[in-house]
Amino acid sequence: MRISYEWLGDYLDTSGLTPDEAAELLTMSGTKIESVQVIDLSAIIVGRVVEQRDHPRSNKPLWIHQVDIGGGKVIQIVAGASNAVAGTLVPVALPGTKVPSGTVVRDGKIAGELAQGMLCSAEELLLGEDKEPRIMLLEVGEPGESLAKYIPIDAIFEAEITPNRPDCLGHLGVARELAAAAGRDFKSDFMPPYIEGVPPPAAELIDVAIDVPELCSRFVAVPITGVKVGPSPGWVQRRLRAAGVRPISNVVDATAYVMLEHGKPTHVFDAAKLAGRQLHVREARDGESLLCLDGQTRKLRSGMLVVADARGPVAIGGIIGGEESGVTDSTTDMIIESAGWDGVNIRATSRALGLRTEASVRHEKGLAPEVAMAGARRAAALVREWAGGQIHSEWVDVYPRPQEPVRIQVEPKKIDALLGVEVPPEESKQILRNLGFQVRAEKDGPWDVLPPVFRLDVELPEDVVEEVGRIYGIERIPGTLPGRRHTKWERSDASDREWAMREVLLGAGFEEVVSPALIAHKLLERLGLGDGARALINPMSDELDTMRTSLLPSLLAVARFNQNRTGEHVDVFEMARVYHGTIDGGLANEPVRLTAITRVGDGAEAGREGFLRLKSVMDRLAADLAASAPAYERSSPIGVPAKSKISWGESLYHPGRTARVELAGRELGVLGELHPSTLAAFDLDGRAVALDIDVGSLVGAGGERKAAELPRFPAVQRDLAVVADDDVPAGELHATIKEAAGPFLENVRAFDEYRGGQVGEGRKSIAFTLTFRSPERTLTDAEVEGVMAQIKRALEKKHRAGFRT
Amino acid sequence: MTEAANLRDEALKAIAGAAADADLEAIEVEYLGRRDGKISKQLMSRITSLPAEEKAAFGEQVNDAKRAVQEALAARREEHRAARLADIGETEAIDITFPAPPLRRGHAHVLSQVRRELETIFAGIGYTVEEGPEIETDWYNFEALNLPKGHASRDVQETFFLDDAEEVVLRTHTSPVQIRAMQRIGTPPIYIIAPGRVYRRDNLDATHLPYFMQLEGLAVDEGLTVGDLKGTLMYMTQSLFGTERSVRMRPHHFGYTEPSYEFDTMCGRCMGKGCRSCRGEGWLETGGCGMVHPAVLRNGGIDPARYSGYAWGFGIERIALLKYDVEDLRLFYENDMRFNRQF
Repeated sequence: MRISYEWLGDYLDTSGLTPDEAAELLTMSGTKIESVQVIDLSAIIVGRVVEQRDHPRSNKPLWIHQVDIGGGKVIQIVAGASNAVAGTLVPVALPGTKVPSGTVVRDGKIAGELAQGMLCSAEELLLGEDKEPRIMLLEVGEPGESLAKYIPIDAIFEAEITPNRPDCLGHLGVARELAAAAGRDFKSDFMPPYIEGVPPPAAELIDVAIDVPELCSRFVAVPITGVKVGPSPGWVQRRLRAAGVRPISNVVDATAYVMLEHGKPTHVFDAAKLAGRQLHVREARDGESLLCLDGQTRKLRSGMLVVADARGPVAIGGIIGGEESGVTDSTTDMIIESAGWDGVNIRATSRALGLRTEASVRHEKGLAPEVAMAGARRAAALVREWAGGQIHSEWVDVYPRPQEPVRIQVEPKKIDALLGVEVPPEESKQILRNLGFQVRAEKDGPWDVLPPVFRLDVELPEDVVEEVGRIYGIERIPGTLPGRRHTKWERSDASDREWAMREVLLGAGFEEVVSPALIAHKLLERLGLGDGARALINPMSDELDTMRTSLLPSLLAVARFNQNRTGEHVDVFEMARVYHGTIDGGLANEPVRLTAITRVGDGAEAGREGFLRLKSVMDRLAADLAASAPAYERSSPIGVPAKSKISWGESLYHPGRTARVELAGRELGVLGELHPSTLAAFDLDGRAVALDIDVGSLVGAGGERKAAELPRFPAVQRDLAVVADDDVPAGELHATIKEAAGPFLENVRAFDEYRGGQVGEGRKSIAFTLTFRSPERTLTDAEVEGVMAQIKRALEKKHRAGFRT
Repeated sequence: MTEAANLRDEALKAIAGAAADADLEAIEVEYLGRRDGKISKQLMSRITSLPAEEKAAFGEQVNDAKRAVQEALAARREEHRAARLADIGETEAIDITFPAPPLRRGHAHVLSQVRRELETIFAGIGYTVEEGPEIETDWYNFEALNLPKGHASRDVQETFFLDDAEEVVLRTHTSPVQIRAMQRIGTPPIYIIAPGRVYRRDNLDATHLPYFMQLEGLAVDEGLTVGDLKGTLMYMTQSLFGTERSVRMRPHHFGYTEPSYEFDTMCGRCMGKGCRSCRGEGWLETGGCGMVHPAVLRNGGIDPARYSGYAWGFGIERIALLKYDVEDLRLFYENDMRFNRQF
């Protein structure tokens, strides 16, 4: 909302209050002023055009003016608009002047012609906007006078008005706020006086009916006959422009002025063009349409409200008028309409039509029916003042649902209790009265507070406290922290544990990524991740139309992004929710997953190294978070558990290099090299390995940590190189060793794998380090050798294993 | 001169001439060796053949000689050690300006870091972390928060829907967690924060994202005031940005709080005086807050006659932006490692 500071001066004494000070007072009391633009025209002077001719040599349209600037001086000015013909009064900026729009005028030549100043447009003076180049023409003034003599210094505030305060979508409302905040008198009544008109009475000139009283609470119609349509007074045009509205004619400008003053949109019909001299408020019929004032024809449908004459719609209620029934230069008899509309209905219609107007923006907030009468009275007075004519008596006022008075009981203690500061009761009352509230207070009892009729947003004692608080001043309330009366202190360590997981990945050199949860459904489908995905019905694009079911596509996209930008093969991870399925009430499963990918070079061995790197990460995660070791089950299309047992994404992985990860019997997720075709889909070089696990399962695996006593006797280590068939997994050899070893085996770990000539075709050698220890004594060599022999026998028997030395 | 003294002098001479510790080892074995040392064994063994009255004096001579040799060995070794260390400053010098290889460690994402910092700050005054669904019902996201269907105040939160009936939405703010927390915990005191992702139909540009993160805070207890809310925001702001930065509350309007405020953080560049980065205001809009509306308390199952509450919420990106002077919101979600590694 654009607010003219000069205009506010109509309603309160602003002397001694700078625009910046006023803006600060408004901001701190709830009307946020986003910007203050001062318009000071004291350096601009009035000039009279003596002569205008075309520029002889320019390609661009330019005109040369001789301008009388007073004191007998005539200067030459070149301009790009042709409307400053001889005899007109124009605003002139002499060289060195900075015009309000920011341009500094220079002395010089334009296209070879002397240019000794500038003729200003309204836009350059910040007095309005122009569609085409146009010099602003003045109505009064003598050459050489300062323009400030006619156009007072003004400041334009850009104000953010919250949706609960439609009364502040007008200068009157903002002035009331400023007066209260500044502690100054407010000099205007909300309700203008009624104007008793002449016969015949209004009802004989216009027939009004409301078919939908639940959506239109009131309809005031004021006939005015014998008006003379023409331009409105200069000061009116200037104020409208200052507020961002283009002046049209005295009659139309009167409605705009009322809207910018009271925040109440009204409409004027040409009475002669209303068929049957009637205005009926009803629902539109499907198939009806209306040529609107903006030149567009809009299709209407049931549910939308129209004002209709005997033929059909003449306005879309509360939003826009019709072109054919509108006021023109030849209008003499007119009807002012000011109605109370249902905000929710207006908003729905405005959205359905994709049409937001100055009127709809105000009406959709739900204006009080009393405001409709205030708007009608003010509009009628201004039309008569600016365009003449006769107002007719006994205005039509169809008012099926009179506004209920609101009375709120407020315990004065409640103000202090909610604000946390002692506000003197007299100050509270004064604040409320300054805002237009009535306060009736008995001694010690609760107060009866009656909000002004235009404040439908005030319903509860809390609302009243807010009013007091914002004018009293939040800066006067001391900041405190509440005392606590807890009996139990609940603390969730979930985010600590998630952070501990992050630390493992970070320590292993992985970079954390945070990527959008919205993703392209077609991408999920292509990767086989589309099952159970939750899609948006109103996405902004098909690139962001579905909630991701897996973090993997996001990470692969990040890998590609960095590969393309810098050529880097970056190791990344993300910890975030994924979304799938539909549970109660339409919600989704939203488990948190931890997904990491590591990029390695080309070749099978590189892939294996990447696998082991992420396996180290997984082992460490399990050790840190659950104090236990995960199990890895080979998972491939042949002889693997049914697809349903792997959560999702199996086909993304390499069939021979993928494991299902389990912890304490619970499935955690998957670890595997990505399938070459997955990488190709993202244009990734080399190979990549992914780990994708469910964070909740890892955290939930528990595993309590207790300190173990340190061993008191030395350990004995033995290495054992086991030669077995290629298809015997290391994990099975490991299990056999553990099983056969008995109680003294403390630890066994594979540290090398070898294939080649020394072990023969189809065979491999895996080297283990075994650690033996007894808690009670030092083991002898003989004891250890005995156990080693047992182990070897078991390996020979179970796996046809041999041994290398 | 006694034989002990002769052997001693012989040994001392050898020690004085020994160039290396290895020579001293040999000398030690030769004279003091346990098996066949010239002093310790060969000379000492003669004691048995001496008359009893001479034994004591002889033993003393031998021990004196041994002690002298031991002391000389120790002194000479110390000389060697000192000589060895004397010039390591030159002989072992390295180029300390040679750059170290980078430690291979990843970077936590800046939004994770900020979120963590906020969680830690609020843990300091006893707030716990609460979670809620991102795919949420209209009731929790709007209705329960006093934002009825068709109401103009829904306009600022353009909504993504997941069903035609528009009953299931991507939450537009973390505020539905207020209701869920009240329902879960039941009886106040309630002091929670709820960080998480939210979604709005905003076009992607340098200052808008259709997805971002918020942190919601809620306190419900007996006798809570606007002053308590203000103190909480002051604690948060100064914990994040230092004690020179203050927070400013401005009256505003939200359906779910009454009174409502927006809060601004003092601009760190101009310290409130007004500069280009704060558009001359001296303050940077940070979030919204207020006293929980009685209807919202009721929807959470809390009796507003007995309890009051305050709540606040803001964008986590906003804090990161204020802390690190990030110019473009999109950088947070692009994951260009040249950006991510700066934090």
